[in-house]
Amino acid sequence: MKEKKLIQYLVLIHWTLFSATTVIDKIVPDVYPFWVGADFYTLFIKFFASLGLTDPIFATIALAGISFLEIVAFACFAFSLFNLYKMKDKIAEQWFYRGIGIAILTFSFFSIGDQVFGDRFTLLEHTIFWMILVVSWVIYKYNSLTDERVMKFTMSKDIKIGLLVGAVLTVITSYSIVAFAKDSYASKTKPLQGEEVVEGVYKFDVPFLGDKITLENTIKTFEETHTDLKVNYIYTGPDELNSKKKTHMLLYVFTERQK
Amino acid sequence: MENKKLDITKRIIGKDLIRYFILIYWVLFWLLNIVDKVIGGAHFLFVGKDRFAQIQRFFESLGLGEPIIANIALIITAGLETFAFVFFSGALYHFAKKNIDATRSWFFIGIALTLITYTYFTVGDQVFGDHFELLEHGLFWFIALLSWIIFIRVDKIQLFDNFSIGKKQFIASTIFVVAITAVTTFSIFWHNHTSFVERTQAVNAKQITDNKYKIQFPFLAGSKAFENSIAKFKTDNPTEKITYIYTAPTQLRLGESDGLIIYIQTEKK
Repeated sequence: MKEKKLIQYLVLIHWTLFSATTVIDKIVPDVYPFWVGADFYTLFIKFFASLGLTDPIFATIALAGISFLEIVAFACFAFSLFNLYKMKDKIAEQWFYRGIGIAILTFSFFSIGDQVFGDRFTLLEHTIFWMILVVSWVIYKYNSLTDERVMKFTMSKDIKIGLLVGAVLTVITSYSIVAFAKDSYASKTKPLQGEEVVEGVYKFDVPFLGDKITLENTIKTFEETHTDLKVNYIYTGPDELNSKKKTHMLLYVFTERQK
Repeated sequence: MENKKLDITKRIIGKDLIRYFILIYWVLFWLLNIVDKVIGGAHFLFVGKDRFAQIQRFFESLGLGEPIIANIALIITAGLETFAFVFFSGALYHFAKKNIDATRSWFFIGIALTLITYTYFTVGDQVFGDHFELLEHGLFWFIALLSWIIFIRVDKIQLFDNFSIGKKQFIASTIFVVAITAVTTFSIFWHNHTSFVERTQAVNAKQITDNKYKIQFPFLAGSKAFENSIAKFKTDNPTEKITYIYTAPTQLRLGESDGLIIYIQTEKK
């Protein structure tokens, strides 16, 4: 296969899957088994409410309009991919161009919305995607004009060595992942050991995997092992205090002697 | 880079350097990703990212809490990343050996694996509803694609072919760099000398009302500073009992850089 063709496949597969999952996210608006997605409905309702348009019809129409554009973009990318597979390169390119055009239009609408709603971070996000779309099209097109190099992949000695090294590294990494997962999952709900950092104040370093069950077990065990103490207050250490690892959580338990 | 026609001469050292930078970047990028997965968890001299916890949480949000699912997803990721690393390393090796055709083939497979990895991540981000990660992975996908184009097309870019600097300019720029470096270094060391103590130093509480106190931490303060400040507060106010701590949100801290502000509520013992 020619390199340019493979790059076109990779670009098209990316945008087809990107737009397909975007459409699914609109069809499945809430959290369900096997799909969490982003809650665009709530987001739009809040955005429009901030403008003083509290009637849900505005958010619903806007979301339906955006969804329509996303569906059209997905259809264009899917048709483009199909035609590329059928060796109809010219038609594939036309469909890709339409898809990119629609997607750029969608992100332009998003950017206008972000400005109106004053959401600068999302504006940055949408502008970056807008730019990636434009460059994707240029790369797709630019690749198709020149450079007809055929990808060479013969089972030469160096390729065999590469594949062997890759396989060995994958096995080592997989073993390490499984071992680490086993250890950390086993201690997921285990109660944590506190450290008395100030008289009557205990600090707990909650790992990333820890959740509400970990907290509940920790407090329960703490109360069982410190029967002379009464828990007055629990304070969650803010991120600014946590230099060890940003995904960990610091928890301070304030106690006093039982009377 | 044209097929079998790369003109590697001293004249295009700049273009070679760009290719070396691209190759070294991707080799190190994937190498560190693999190291992160092999090490797992935070250790001395390597914190990394707890990918297992992140992926496990993602799958748990889908209702797939069994760790085997997160493990499989991570092993697929590790496989893609490992082979991307191997192919970029092979490309670097062949480039150093001036095997230009082999360089291109190895680099192309590395890039294809990188693009596949980020497309796989992108689908995951949509399913899990993490749009920040979606942006991050979309950007890496884009950077990989652009790296490929720059790598193969750098010959078409007009670069200057003379890297030498005139004697006068060399002396002037050296003096300029040394002077600015000296000032900057002095400033950094002086700041370290005067400010590092803030990392752990207790901060005095300021009384706001009868039973409410404010503690304004410097930006450098860590958990030890918080603990020492609470200890000091308890020593300074032996008759008071802490009943509540309120962390001022960032919106209320705009005039104070990013330092943490807490409010302590007390009652008489």
